[in-house]
Amino acid sequence: MSAISVDGRRVECAEDQSMLEAFLRAGIWMPNSCNQGTCGTCKLQVVCGEVDHGDSPLETLTAEERAAGLALACQARPLAETEVALRGSEPGRTTHVLRDLTATVVGVEEIARDTRRILLGLEEPLAFSAGQYVELLVPGTTERRPYSLANTAEEDKVLELHVRRVPGGVASEWLFGPVAVGDRVEVRGPLGDFHAPDADEDQGEPMVLIGGGTGLAPLLGIARTALARHPERTVVLYHGVRVEADLYDTDRLEELAAGHPGFSFVTVLSREAVRGHRHGYAPDAFVEDIAGARGWSGWLCGPPPMVEAGVKAFKRRRMAPRLIHREKFTAADAPAP
Amino acid sequence: MTTTQQDLSWLDDVTMSDLERNPYPTYERLRREAPLAFVPVLGSYVASTAEVCREVATSPDFEAVITPAGGRTFGHPAIIGVNGDIHADLRGMVEPQLQPAEVDSWVDDLVRPIARRYVEQFEDRGRAELVAEFCEPVSVRSLGDLLGLQSVSSDKLREWFHKLSVSFTNAAVDENGEFTNPEGFTPGDEARAEIQEVVDPLIDRWTEHPENTAISHWLHDGMPPGKTRAREYIYPTIYVYLLGAMQEPGHGMASTLVGLFSRPEQLEEVVDDPSLLPRAISEGMRWTSPIWSATARISTKPVTIAGVDLPAGTPVILSYGSANHDTGKYDAPTEYDLHRPPLPHLAFGAGNHACAGIYYANQVMRIGLEELFEAIPNLERDTGEGVEFWGWGFRGPTSLHCTWEV
Ligand SMILES: Cc1cc2nc3c(=O)[nH]c(=O)nc-3n(C[C@H](O)[C@H](O)[C@H](O)COP(=O)(O)OP(=O)(O)OC[C@H]3O[C@@H](n4cnc5c(N)ncnc54)[C@H](O)[C@@H]3O)c2cc1C
Ligand code: HEM
Ligand code: FES
Repeated sequence: MSAISVDGRRVECAEDQSMLEAFLRAGIWMPNSCNQGTCGTCKLQVVCGEVDHGDSPLETLTAEERAAGLALACQARPLAETEVALRGSEPGRTTHVLRDLTATVVGVEEIARDTRRILLGLEEPLAFSAGQYVELLVPGTTERRPYSLANTAEEDKVLELHVRRVPGGVASEWLFGPVAVGDRVEVRGPLGDFHAPDADEDQGEPMVLIGGGTGLAPLLGIARTALARHPERTVVLYHGVRVEADLYDTDRLEELAAGHPGFSFVTVLSREAVRGHRHGYAPDAFVEDIAGARGWSGWLCGPPPMVEAGVKAFKRRRMAPRLIHREKFTAADAPAP
Repeated sequence: MTTTQQDLSWLDDVTMSDLERNPYPTYERLRREAPLAFVPVLGSYVASTAEVCREVATSPDFEAVITPAGGRTFGHPAIIGVNGDIHADLRGMVEPQLQPAEVDSWVDDLVRPIARRYVEQFEDRGRAELVAEFCEPVSVRSLGDLLGLQSVSSDKLREWFHKLSVSFTNAAVDENGEFTNPEGFTPGDEARAEIQEVVDPLIDRWTEHPENTAISHWLHDGMPPGKTRAREYIYPTIYVYLLGAMQEPGHGMASTLVGLFSRPEQLEEVVDDPSLLPRAISEGMRWTSPIWSATARISTKPVTIAGVDLPAGTPVILSYGSANHDTGKYDAPTEYDLHRPPLPHLAFGAGNHACAGIYYANQVMRIGLEELFEAIPNLERDTGEGVEFWGWGFRGPTSLHCTWEV
C-alpha cells in the first residue's frame, strides 16, 4: 500500500488498485473515459515518486511520454509514495465515489437484432450522473467490460444497460448466453466523464446527440435529464444504425417527443433505405439538417469512427469544441490511435 | 582571430530588401560560416546563432544600445537602449503592470470581450483577412485600453505601429555609415507628431488627476509626492510600446495560425484542445519570431566572441529570429511543429533587456486564438490567396485570408 496525492489531497492506493481507482474511490475527480488504457484521457504527470505502468499500451503512452514522467492513471500503480499533477484540467473537483456493488439481474430483454436490455437491481442506490458507465465482471473470469447507463440520476436502484453482441466476445458470450434473471453480478462504478452537467451548470443551451447502435444508452439518460431541467429546450437526437432491425426504443423516444415540443429524434440507417428513416450516416444527416450549431452542446457516443465523424460534423456547423462531449465504445484489447 | 578566415565578400551584395523579403537564406549561411559577422548594409556586426545571441545578450562585457535607425525613430531614453540607473528606473516603471499575478487579475476581462467583439464582426461572413481584421486589432485594442488610449481608434493605433516600424527598421547605411534612405524616417516622424498631439493632453490630465492607466502610472509610480516623470523622459518608451508591444502579439497570433495551417492535423488538435494553445503559440514564436532582429548590444571592453575580436564600443545586432532556426538546436527548424521538444527559444530575448511583456503578450495571444477557434472551429486558410511574410527587424505575415462554412 502506497500513498498517492494530487493537489495536496492524499489517499492510500491498495496493491491491486490503479491510481485512478484509488482517487475515484475517495471521491477525487480526475479525467477518465475508458478505464482500460485505450483512450489516453487519464494521462497525468508524475511529479515525484515512482509508478509501475502495468498494462499501459505503448500506443496510448509512448516511450517518450514515459521518459517525460507521464502515466496513465487507470493503469499505473504507485511503487512508492507518489505525487501526481493533472494536465490542464481544473484541480480540486470532487466526483461520485467509485464503488463495488453486487447487483441482481432483474431483466433480460431482446430489444433489437443482437441487442439486449439488461436490468440490474441494486440493494442500495448508486450515486452517478446521467451518461456515466459501470463495469461488469464477467462471471468465471477476471475480465471487466464497461457498459453505459441509460438511467437518469434519479433512477438509481435499477441500472439499465443496452448491450450489443460481439460474436465470440467474452462478455457477449455471457450476456447473450447463460445470463438469467436472479443471477448475481459484480458491478463497479460509476466511471467516466461523459455525463450531463451538474444542474447549476446547465445553461439550457440547445443540444444535439448522436448515438451509434447501443451508443444510444447514455444519450437516453442525458437527453431525459436535460429535458426534465429545461422542458422547452431544443434537443435533437440522432440514432444511427445499420438496418431497421437494429433500431430500438423508438416508442420511448416518440413518447418523449410528444411531451416536449423542443425534442426531436431522427433515425438513420446506413445499410438500407427504408421509408420513415434517413439513409446514410448520422453525422451527415446532422450536417444536412442543422445550419448552425454555434452555442449548442454536442454529445457523441458509439463506435470510435462515428464519434470522430461527429466531431468533424459539429465543428463544420461551428459548435465550440469545448462543448463537444464524446464517449467511444472501444474494445478492451484495441488501443485507440 | 582563432578560426580560419572565411571569405565573407558575398555579404557585400546583401541588400535591405533581400533581408526584408526573406532573411533566412542569408542568415542560414551566416550561421554556418560566421555566427558573428559584420554585415555591410547594416553597418553593424550581427549575431545569428542561438549560442552567440545568448552569449552577447547576457554577457557582462556588453550593455544595451539602440540601433541607429531605432534611435533616430524613438529618441533618447528608450528602454531598449539605456543602461544603469535609467534602465533600472524605466524597468521599475513598466514592470509592475506586467507581473504575472497582476496580469492574471485583469487580462481575461480586458482581452476576451475585445477578441469577441472583433470575431463577431466577421464570424457569419464565412471569410476574413485575419491580420487586419483580427490579429492586429485585438493586439492594439487590448494594449491601447491598458495604456489609457481608449480615445484612439484601433485603425489609428495600427497605422502608428506600421509607420514606426518601417522607420525603426530603415537600417540601410552606406560605406560611411550614413542612412541610404533618409526619407524612410518620414512615416515615423509623422506618427510621432500625431502621437504627441493625442497623448500630450492625456499626460496633462493624468499629471493632475492620476487614473488607473499604464501611462498614468508611469508618470506617478515611485515618484515623490507631487512629482511626476517628465514627458520627454517617458515618450521614447511610449514609442517602444506603440511599436513593438502593439505590433508583436498580432504578428505572433498570425504566424502561429499560418504555422498551424501548414499542419492541418495539428490545427485540429489545437482546436479540439485549446489547452495546447500556449505550446502552439510558443512554437509560432520560435518558427517566425516577431522581433526578428531589432535590438542590439554594445561591447564595453575588448572581447572575443565566436572567434572574432571586437574592440570596446562595437555594436552587435541580435537576430533572434535566426537563432530560433539554429540547426544546432532544432531539427528541421523551418518547419512548424507543435510536438517538437519544447526547448527554450529566444523570441523574447535574453539578459536584463529581455522582453518585459512576455507574460502579458502570451495571454493576449492565447485569449485571442481561444476566442477565434471557439467561434470558428472550422477555420481554413483560403488557398486561393497566398501568404507572404515580410520583415527583417519585425516579421510576420502581411495578410492571412481565411474561409469557413457558415
Ligand atoms: C466507456 C465504454 C462504454 C461502453 N458502453 C457500452 C454499452 O453501453 N453497450 C455496448 O454494447 N458496449 C459498450 N461498450 C463496449 C463494451 O465494453 C465491450 O467492449 C463490448 O461489449 C465487447 O465486449 P466482449 O467482451 O463481448 O468482446 P471482447 O472479448 O472484448 O472482444 C472480442 C473480439 O472482438 C473485437 N471487438 C470488440 N468490440 C468490437 C466491435 N464493436 N466491433 C468489432 N469488433 C469488436 C475485440 O477486438 C476482440 O478481438 C463500451 C465500451 C467503453 C470503453
Ligand atoms: C509576441 C509578442 C512580443 C514579442 C515576441 C516580444 C519580444 C521582445 C524582444 C525580442 C525584446 C528585446 C529583447 C532583447 O533585446 O533581448 C523585447 C523587449 C521588450 N518588450 Fe517585448 N515582445 C512582445 C510583446 C511585448 C508586449 C505586449 C510588451 C508590453 C506590454 C512588451 C514589452 C517589452 C519591453 C518593455 C521591452 C524592452 C525591455 C528592455 O529593454 O529592458 N513586449 N520584446
Ligand atoms: S481512462 Fe485511462 S486510458 Fe482511457
